[in-house]
Amino acid sequence: MTRNTEAVFILAATVLASVGVAMVQFAGGVWLDSEVALTFVSFALAFGALHVAFRLWAPNANTMILPIAAFLTALGTIEVFRIDPELAALQRWWLVFAGAAGAAIVWLLRSSGVAVLRRYRYLFLAAAMVLLMLPLLPESWPMHGAVVNGSRLWVRIDLPFAARDLSFQPGEVAKVFLTVFLASYLADRSEAMSTVSRKVGPFRIPEPRHLGPIIVAAGVAFIVLVYQRDLGASLLLFGLFVGMLYVATGRGFYLGMGLALVTVAGLTAFAMFSHVQVRIEAWLNPFADYAGSGYQTAQGLFAMGSGSLTGSGLGLGRPDLIPAAATDFVFAAIGEELGLAGSIAVIVGYAFLVAIGFGIALRSRDRFRKYLAAGLTILLGLQTFLIIAGIVRLFPITGITLPFMSYGGSSLLASAMIAALLGRISHEERT
Amino acid sequence: MNAPLRRTAWAIIFGFAVLVAATVWIQAVAGPGYRDDPRNPRLVTWRVGRERGAIVTADAAVVARSDPNPLDPQTFTRAYPQDALNAHTVGYVSVLFGSRGLERTREADLVSHRDSTISGLLNAVLGGDPRPRGLRLTIDEGLQRTAAEALNGERGSIIALDPTTGAVLASVSTPGFDPNVLVGPDAGLAGQQLDEDPSQPLLHRTIGTTYPPGSSFKIITAAAALETGIAGPSTVFDDPIELELPGTTATIQNYDDDVCVDGSTVSLAEAFVRSCNTTFAALGMLVGGEVLAETADAFGFNQEIPYDLPVLASAFPDPTEFADDPPATAQNALGQRDVRATPMQMGVVAAAIANGGNIMVPYVVADVFTHEGRIESTTEPELWRRAESPATAAVLTDLMEQAVISGTGRNAAVPGVRAAGKTGTAQVTGAAPDVWFVGFAPVDPEPGERQIAVAIVLEDGGPAGETASGGSIAAPIAATLFEAYLK
Repeated sequence: MTRNTEAVFILAATVLASVGVAMVQFAGGVWLDSEVALTFVSFALAFGALHVAFRLWAPNANTMILPIAAFLTALGTIEVFRIDPELAALQRWWLVFAGAAGAAIVWLLRSSGVAVLRRYRYLFLAAAMVLLMLPLLPESWPMHGAVVNGSRLWVRIDLPFAARDLSFQPGEVAKVFLTVFLASYLADRSEAMSTVSRKVGPFRIPEPRHLGPIIVAAGVAFIVLVYQRDLGASLLLFGLFVGMLYVATGRGFYLGMGLALVTVAGLTAFAMFSHVQVRIEAWLNPFADYAGSGYQTAQGLFAMGSGSLTGSGLGLGRPDLIPAAATDFVFAAIGEELGLAGSIAVIVGYAFLVAIGFGIALRSRDRFRKYLAAGLTILLGLQTFLIIAGIVRLFPITGITLPFMSYGGSSLLASAMIAALLGRISHEERT
Repeated sequence: MNAPLRRTAWAIIFGFAVLVAATVWIQAVAGPGYRDDPRNPRLVTWRVGRERGAIVTADAAVVARSDPNPLDPQTFTRAYPQDALNAHTVGYVSVLFGSRGLERTREADLVSHRDSTISGLLNAVLGGDPRPRGLRLTIDEGLQRTAAEALNGERGSIIALDPTTGAVLASVSTPGFDPNVLVGPDAGLAGQQLDEDPSQPLLHRTIGTTYPPGSSFKIITAAAALETGIAGPSTVFDDPIELELPGTTATIQNYDDDVCVDGSTVSLAEAFVRSCNTTFAALGMLVGGEVLAETADAFGFNQEIPYDLPVLASAFPDPTEFADDPPATAQNALGQRDVRATPMQMGVVAAAIANGGNIMVPYVVADVFTHEGRIESTTEPELWRRAESPATAAVLTDLMEQAVISGTGRNAAVPGVRAAGKTGTAQVTGAAPDVWFVGFAPVDPEPGERQIAVAIVLEDGGPAGETASGGSIAAPIAATLFEAYLK
């Protein structure tokens, strides 16, 4: 596939988003207005910027990343518009911003490559920690944390000149920063961590000093869980750490220990926090407390079931009846309006993206680039898996966004960062 | 050092495969269960929340309309501004109780054709109008009101037809119900009360239940004799106080337990006008079950009458079942025993005689019109079947006119209008009689003059109870309808 083909696919996704928005409007009795044009323009700007950046500064980058990302973003944009046109208007700005940010990353790395990130790993770690703690800022400050749906994940900035305050979820970007830190750290240490060990009975365990990172990881995840009440983010962070440790060292010990820690932490959380108990109960039996804790899960199931095989058609379902349909439950909205065909297409799209990401990691000759590509891919795959698994009841609802598709500026920004970094890494492997 | 990376990749891809399996399960296998779950709020939207076309009477009174829901701009609420007046015919769409009436049978016209399917989009691109269609009924608003007021809440039904076209001019079933309560906020309780009401307000009596037609069935017994030539209007019968039935000790009496005319002899015409049971029982046995059944079937018995709504089939028993049972033949000939008819069936009988023996397909939807009010399609009157020859129809018309002039149907007379009809007072075991009037007016209309055929039934004698007769209770209502429609 050439860059020109990539451009054609991006254009196709742009048209798909615009036609989808037009169809939603048509179903609502409106025949083509500025929304369609604005969708087209914002899409063309965002993905056009990324495409041009790849063309100029990463010409050998994988040409499949942007088309798949654009296809998923298009479906997300249509559904967000269908659920709440006002959110979609904001989302257009976020999309342009995220596209510009992704292009800027490719530009920044144009001469020095991703290797430059390796040098600043402690800066990224510090930035990630600060971002993760931001939601704990007291309510009285102009920039403060906010509790949404029982989780303290959001930061709000009260803008004196605008009617709306600016909200974002710093954890989304923090996850990418942490991945950069971890890739860099492991690139230096993985050799030692995987070879030096001592034997205890039948087990070969690493030196105690090499246990440091995983203990830090568990600690961060637990702090996030306790203070921000965010089951999803803590699981995601923990999964990312353990996954990257395993990829870097090849030691099953880290997986086993990770699993053990998750079990212990999970049981502790279940025993200690009522909101975790409620989530688990709502997962196992959403209809037991239908009007209460099980409501969202049940509405998601109704939406998916009503969509059946081919869906109600764009704009003709009622995904707006699901709480948080535009963010956590956008997958259920797709399932309702585009049916099983649409939801399978979305899962397959993510599977392709994940496969491409791992392919880039496998081909990477440089340790840091390999771990970074693997980490970003694990982040993308795990996040997608966790939220969809929550909707289809394989797992409790975790309240995280679906990359590229959910409404949310921080989520889109993080997704664009991942796409840009993966593109740049793949470029460096072929040059 | 790529082995753990490969394993991780496969683990995540495997996770995605599990997601696919779970999604297939949720949407394709368990999907219909979730979709049809009564707690699924989409059911509300699908059944009642979509915009539906308006339904209006022939004279453009609004019977049903969709208003934008102020609480949810995506949905509409259905309103029935006439309350109970046309409730049974038009029906309702309700979350809890489903849909009935034209709202159900004409749903394809009434709902929007706007969707994102290939055909929906093609339709839009080719300039088709996706908006819901409206229905204009044949119902005459004024006549419908008059009919409803005439029944005055008594259990019963009235059907009025244009004999030459089959158009339904009025269709009333009482007691009625207000469809607005079934779509409103307290629909559950209201629906339960209606359902448990012993007077069965939700029952569409006009087409959904049958009654013994009693003496109104003598029209068909007479038609059987006339059509086969077994008897004519001047054929003479004995006039006993009671008719002894062969093979039993049972007898047949006349309405007032007396002779019909003077105790000597009586012509078929006189017997029809005075509704002599003894004569028609004898005539029925003379004609025989076979011919009676054939004639009843020719008028539409034992078949579903084609209509915009499903009509319960009226019943005349299989003649082989009472071939060797003359008393049964006699009782069936009088419209008792095993004979049952819907009000619609008897209205069709009256219309057939008015229309020279031809039964037109009854219909209540006159036109389908677009959102702009342009008529898209119009129902063309259509012949359903020939019930009898024009000659037989002419003789029966004469007999029925005499019945109104000087017989049991006198109360249906309207000055200046040549009305024709037959009363019925059907005996019901353990209850007051069901009383009927079946007829039409005017006889032999001028070209362009309006004509109306009616069937009226009141259960349990209506307001008069045990003392009721078709002539005293149902016939005056016919006069009211003739007057309202023809003057």
